[in-house]
Amino acid sequence: MVLDGPYQHQAADSAVQFVKAARAKGHEIVGIFLFADGVNAANRFINPPGERNVGRQFDELGAAGIEVVACTACAKFRGLKPDLKSDHVKLSGLGSLAEFLGKAERFVTFAA
Amino acid sequence: MSARVAFLMRHSPYGTVYPAEGFRAMMGTGVFEMDIVVVFVDDGVYAALKSQKPEELDMKPLGDGFPALAEVGVKEFYVHGESLAERGLSAGDLTVDAAVVDSARLAEVLAGCSAVLPF
Repeated sequence: MVLDGPYQHQAADSAVQFVKAARAKGHEIVGIFLFADGVNAANRFINPPGERNVGRQFDELGAAGIEVVACTACAKFRGLKPDLKSDHVKLSGLGSLAEFLGKAERFVTFAA
Repeated sequence: MSARVAFLMRHSPYGTVYPAEGFRAMMGTGVFEMDIVVVFVDDGVYAALKSQKPEELDMKPLGDGFPALAEVGVKEFYVHGESLAERGLSAGDLTVDAAVVDSARLAEVLAGCSAVLPF
């Protein structure tokens, strides 16, 4: 679960790096849940001049087959309309979080 | 085995979004098949305080929400005794009936959960 948005805090970067490192070690990632300001990482218009694109990194994890879910209600709070969302991130509710909690052997939260 | 998930409430109710989102997450996941444990620790004890009046902030009283968690089957509450004492509070000041636990017991409670979600 990612509880904070990109660039303000390290949480979103740490999540991306953690997921890549875990996969490299052969672990399966059941899913990534973007919660609260974490949903801002799902904005496909993120375009940081000359810097790493955290939005694209989450989109790429989704394209690689990981279920990346942004909380629908949190997206509404932040004006993240569905057409602003990255292609490989889906909007869904807390049911997805419950599903990940039920499936995963380990659950890690990235927050400020 | 169904998940047993602890929601760790660590922050006072209105300065950040975390306690409100923690509450929403309990409500939203409590309806699914899992055991939920709610733990109030540090400034998180303020989140469950009775008689919160945040109307002037144009916000809703968070403390009043916790008793409603029973509707989704969430009934297991713990509060860290030291955190209460440091703030001059007692368990009776909270909107829910929470078991007062010391740090050692709290560690056991968390160790018995399959996931801990810090809010």
